[in-house]
Amino acid sequence: MARRLLLALFSALFVLYVAGPVLWLLSSSLQMESEITAVPPNWLPPHPGLHNFTAIFTAGDSAEYANRGIAGFLPSGAANLLPALYNSLKVGLWVAGLNLLFSLTAAYAIAVIDFKGRRATLYTVLATRVIPDIALVVPLFLVIRNLGLINSIGALVVTYLAVTVPFTIFILISYFEGIPRDLYRASRIDGCGHWGALRHVYLPLSLPALVAALMFAFLTSWNEFLFALVLTQNAAAQTLPIIIAGFVMDFTTSFSFVNAAGVIAILPPVLLAIIFQRYIVSGLTAGAVKG
Amino acid sequence: MAAITLQGVTKRYGNVTAVQALDLAIREGEFMVLLGPSGCGKTTTLNMIAGLEEISDGTLLFDAKDVTRLPPHKREVAMVFQSYALYPNKTVAENIAFPLRLRGVPKAEIDRAVASVAEQLELTPLLQRRPNQLSGGQRQRVALGRAIVRQPSVFLMDEPLSNLDATLRLSMRSLIKRLHHQLKATFVYVTHDQAEALTLADRIAVMQGGIVQQLDTPEGIYERPANTFVASFLGSPQINLLRAGLPRPAWVAEGRDVIVGLRPEDVARPTEGLTALSGRVELVSPLGSETQLELALPGASITLRVPKDWRVTEGETLAFGIDPARLHVFDAATERRIAP
Amino acid sequence: MGLRLSYDDRSAAVLVFPVLAVLLVVAAYPILYSFWVSLHDIVLTRPLRRPFVWFENYERMLGDARFHTAVLRTTVYTVVTVSVVSVLAVGVALLLNETFPGHKLLNALLLLPWATPSIVNGLMWKWIYDPTYGLMNAVLVKLGLIESYRAWLGDPDLTLLLISNAAIWKQMPLAALLLLVTMKAIPDDLYRAAKVDGATVFQRFVHVTLPALRPGLMLVLVYETMISIRHFDLFLIMTQGGPGDASYTLSWLIYVETFRSLRFGTGAALSYLLAMLTFLLSWLFIRFLGEKTA
Repeated sequence: MARRLLLALFSALFVLYVAGPVLWLLSSSLQMESEITAVPPNWLPPHPGLHNFTAIFTAGDSAEYANRGIAGFLPSGAANLLPALYNSLKVGLWVAGLNLLFSLTAAYAIAVIDFKGRRATLYTVLATRVIPDIALVVPLFLVIRNLGLINSIGALVVTYLAVTVPFTIFILISYFEGIPRDLYRASRIDGCGHWGALRHVYLPLSLPALVAALMFAFLTSWNEFLFALVLTQNAAAQTLPIIIAGFVMDFTTSFSFVNAAGVIAILPPVLLAIIFQRYIVSGLTAGAVKG
Repeated sequence: MAAITLQGVTKRYGNVTAVQALDLAIREGEFMVLLGPSGCGKTTTLNMIAGLEEISDGTLLFDAKDVTRLPPHKREVAMVFQSYALYPNKTVAENIAFPLRLRGVPKAEIDRAVASVAEQLELTPLLQRRPNQLSGGQRQRVALGRAIVRQPSVFLMDEPLSNLDATLRLSMRSLIKRLHHQLKATFVYVTHDQAEALTLADRIAVMQGGIVQQLDTPEGIYERPANTFVASFLGSPQINLLRAGLPRPAWVAEGRDVIVGLRPEDVARPTEGLTALSGRVELVSPLGSETQLELALPGASITLRVPKDWRVTEGETLAFGIDPARLHVFDAATERRIAP
Repeated sequence: MGLRLSYDDRSAAVLVFPVLAVLLVVAAYPILYSFWVSLHDIVLTRPLRRPFVWFENYERMLGDARFHTAVLRTTVYTVVTVSVVSVLAVGVALLLNETFPGHKLLNALLLLPWATPSIVNGLMWKWIYDPTYGLMNAVLVKLGLIESYRAWLGDPDLTLLLISNAAIWKQMPLAALLLLVTMKAIPDDLYRAAKVDGATVFQRFVHVTLPALRPGLMLVLVYETMISIRHFDLFLIMTQGGPGDASYTLSWLIYVETFRSLRFGTGAALSYLLAMLTFLLSWLFIRFLGEKTA
C-alpha cells in the first residue's frame, strides 16, 4: 500500500516536472495577447483558439498582415517562418536520408568485414565524435565561407551529416553485431557479395535500428541551432530555430506569437519521438553505450 | 565434381595458429569428415575451404584451379550450418530459391527446382511457412534444400546435426548419407561426434591442435589409431590406456617403455588362445543389450563392455580373456602407435 | 603480395568512403585548419593583414580577465548541471524501473524534454521566468514563498542556476535512459539474495543497485560534462552572457570573440583551449573513475 502511494506521488511529480513547462507553453500559445499578459496568469486559455498560429502562417500575406485584427505585434521576420519551416524539413529529410545511406554502409563494413584499416576507420569515427561543436564552429565557418557555401542548404546538410553520422554508425554497429554471423556466412555461400549480404541480410533484419538512426538524424538537424546560426544569413537557408531565436531576442515581439512559434517547432520532434519511442530508446542507449 | 586439395594451409589469428600447415587431398565425390574436439581447427579449415576465412598461408585447389584468394560467393560451394542459418524474413520457398535467384536463373526454372527439392526432403506442405514456424529438424531440412538446389559439386557441412535431439539426429544422418549417394558430390563434414564420423565418412581426418593426427577410413581409424589421442577420442566408453597392468604382446621389445591400449569390448570368456586375466568387479552399469563394468586388476583399473548374459555382480572376481593381437601398443614417450 | 587488395578490402573501401570523406572535409580538415588560424592574428574587419604570431593568441587569452571569468562561470554551470542531472536521473530511473499501471505513459513522456529543440527550451523557460507574466512568479507568490514579483534572470546570483535548470530539464532524460538500461541488466537473483540476507530497501539500493549502476553513472558523468562544458544555445537566447558577466561562459566568449568582434585568430585559439579542456576532462574521468569500475 505504502509502495503504491509512493509510486503515485513520484509519478505525479515526474509528470508535473516533465510535462508542466510544455503544457504551460501550449496554453500560452492558445491565448490572446491580452489574456497572456494578465496578472496573475491564466492557467488555461479563457478562449482557446489558433489565432496566433493563423497570424504566423499568414504573415507573408501582406493584406492579411495589415488587418489581422488581433492585438499584439508580429515582427516582419514572421514572414520568414514558413520558409524556415520548409528549410528545416528539407534539411532534416536530406540529412536523415544521406545519414542512413552513409552510416549503413560504413557500419556494415566496420561490423562485418575484416579489412585493412578497419581500426583506423573506427578511431576516425570515434575521434570526430568527441570534438565539441563549438570548437568546430569557427574553422567550419571559415572553410564553408572559402568554398562560397555560406547560406546554403547544402552546407547545413553536410555539416549535420558529419555531426550525426558517428553516433548512428555506433547504433548500427551495435545492432549488426547482434545478427547471427551464420546468416552472413550463409548469404556469402549462397552467392552474395558484400552488397548482397548488406541488402539481403543486414538491411531487412535491422529495421528497428534503421528507424532509430533516421529519427536521431532528423531530430538532431531539426533541433540544431549553433551551426545554423553561423552558417546561414537569410530566409534562403535559415532554419526554424534561427527564426524563433530572432523572435525571442526581438523585444517588440508579442509573447503569444513567440510561444506559438515555439509550439510549431516542438510539435514534429515530440510527435516523432513519442510515436517511435521504442526504437529511439533502444537506439540511443545502444549508440551511447557502444561509443 | 571437384577434388579439394589443401597444401600447407595455415590460419593465424595474431599470434595464435589455429591451423598449421595442413596438407589434405579430398578426392572427387568423397565423403570426408573432419573430426575433433572443439577448438581443434576443424571448423576453421572448413571456413577456409568455403572462403569465409582468409587463408594466411598455403594453397587451396579445387581440381587444378587455385581458389586460395577467391571470395566465397565465387567458389560455388554449398554449406549447411549448425544453427541452420535460415533467413528469418523469407519463407521456406524463398530460402530454398535464394541461391538460384542470385544466379539469375529464370523464375519458372527456380519454381521447378524448389518443388523438386521440397518433394525430395518432404518440405512441400511447409513451403509458405517462415523459419520460426518450423521445428529444428524441419529447419535443417530446409537448410539442406537450400544447399542441394544448386546441385553443387562441393558440399560443406558444419556440425549440421548438433542442435537436433538424438532420434532426429539418427534419421537425418541416414538422409545425409542418401543425399551423398544421389548427388555424388564431394562432401566435407565437420563434427565432434565420433558416431556421425564413423557412420558417414569414406575417410576421416582426426584433428587436434590445428594438426591432422590421422587420415584414414573409419575402420582404419578405429582399428589402428595412429596415436593415443586418436585412440581415446574414438570409442565409447574410452579405450583403456595403461602403462602397466595389461599384458604386453610378445613382439614388444623387452624394457621398452610403452602404453598398452585395450578397447572395452575386446574381451571374451577365457578360452584357449586368449590371455587369461581376472579382476574384482567394482561397478556394474547395465546398458540394456550390454553391461559396462569397472574392474580392478592388480595395479590398474579398467572399463569393459560385456554381453548382458554374463550376469556379473558387484564384488565378484571376474575371469576373462583378451586376444593379444587386439591390443594397441603406443610408445610411452611419443604416444605414437608401434606395430610388429 | 602486399599491395594487392583482397575483395574484402576493396569492398570495405567503397563502403566507408562516403563517411570518411564527409568526416575529413567537415571535421578533420577544419580542425587542423583551425590550428593554423589560431596561430595568426586574423581580424575579419582587416582582411589583408593577417600576420603569423605563433602562440600569441593563446597567451593573450590565458591572461585575459574575460577568460578567467568564463572558466569560472563554465565550471559552476557544469558542476551544478552535471550533479543535479545525475541525482535526478538516478531517481527517475528508479521510478521507471518499477512496474505499475501507467508506467508506459511515463516512459513515453520522458522523451518529451529530450526531443524539445534547445531554442524552444530556452524560450519556454525564459517565458516561465518572465518578471511580469511568468509562471514562476505566479506560483511562488501563490505558495507564499516570495512576497513580490522578481526579475529572475536579472539577478546575477541566480542567472547561471536558472539557465542550468533549463539545461537539466532537457538533459535529464537521456541520462535516466542510460541508467535505466544499466539497472535493467542487474540480475534479479542479486536482489533476491539481498532480501534473503535481510537487507532493507535502502540497504539493497546502497549495496546492490548503486555498485551495479557504476558503469552507467560513469557514462552519464562523461556525457553530461561534455555537453555542459560546451553548451551555447541557452546562453544566447536567455541572457547573452549577462546580466553583467553573470553568465559569461567559455562558449559565449568564443562566440563573442569570433562573430561579434570578428577576431578569428583568438576565437580559434579559444576553441582549441576548450577542446583540449574537454579531452583532458574525459581522459581524467576515464582514468580515475573507469579504473574502479573495472
